[in-house]
Amino acid sequence: MKLRQTEQKKTKIPTASMGDIAFLIIIFFMTTSIFSREKGLKIVLPEKGSEVKIKSENILTIAVNPQGEVLIKDKIVTVPELKDIVKTELATNPDLVIALRVSRTAPYKTMIDVFDELKLAKAEKISLVPVKEGS
Amino acid sequence: MKRIALVKKQDTEIPTASTADIAFLLIIFFMLTTVFRSEFGLKITLPTAEATERIMKRRNVAHVWLDKAGRTSINDNLLDIPSVISIARDKISDNPDLIMVVRADKESEYGRVNDVLEALKEASALKITFATEFEYK
Repeated sequence: MKLRQTEQKKTKIPTASMGDIAFLIIIFFMTTSIFSREKGLKIVLPEKGSEVKIKSENILTIAVNPQGEVLIKDKIVTVPELKDIVKTELATNPDLVIALRVSRTAPYKTMIDVFDELKLAKAEKISLVPVKEGS
Repeated sequence: MKRIALVKKQDTEIPTASTADIAFLLIIFFMLTTVFRSEFGLKITLPTAEATERIMKRRNVAHVWLDKAGRTSINDNLLDIPSVISIARDKISDNPDLIMVVRADKESEYGRVNDVLEALKEASALKITFATEFEYK
C-alpha cells in the first residue's frame, strides 16, 4: 500500500504590494500636514505692574490717529519715511524707547505697517501704549 | 579562426526589496511632524509685513482670532474679553512657554486688538506674535 506523502506547504506573506501601501500612506500624511504656517511679528509684553519710569527724553512717541495718519512729534509722516527717521533717532540715542500710541478707531493694518517699519529699523525697545475707551 | 564570444543578454533588475522600508521611514517622519489642524478660526485677511518671522515651535502656539466685525475667538468659541483672560490663564499654566498668536483682520479696529493685548497681559501671557503674511517688495 502506498501512502500519500503529506506535502509540506510553504507559507508566504506576499510583500510585493507593501511598498505601494506605504507610499499611499505617505501621500496621505504629506497632503494633510501643514508646514509651519506660523509667522508674524514678535513682541514681548511687559508684566502687569512692572511699569518702569523712563526719562521723557528717551521716549519717542509715534501716534496713529483715527484717520490712519502717522505722527511723530506732531508732524504727519508717511509710513515708508518712518524707517529712516527711527534709524537716525536711534543712532543719536541708542537708549531710545519707541512708544506706539494708536487710536482705538485706527485700522489695525496701519498699526502693523508702523510696527513693521520699527522692526525693519532694528528698534529693540518698542512699547505699545494701552488706549482706554473714550481716549 | 577567431571565435566571437556570444554576447550574453544581461538581465537588468531594480532591487525593490527595500522600497517598503524606505517608504515606512518616510511615513514615520511625516507622522511625527504632522500637526492636524485643530481649529477653523474666523474668516480673516491678515495684514502684510516685510519683517515677518517664522515661529519654529508649532506646538507652543495658541491662536486668538479677531475678525472685522470685532468678534474674538479662541478654539472656535466666540468670547468676550473677560473669558479671554481666564482661557489664556489656563493655557499659560498648562504651558508657560506658550506664544499667543494674535490673528486679527487687517480691517479691524485697533481698539479691539488693544483690549485683547490687555487681557493677555492680565493673564500673564506675555509672548505675543501678530500674525502677518510676508510682503515682497
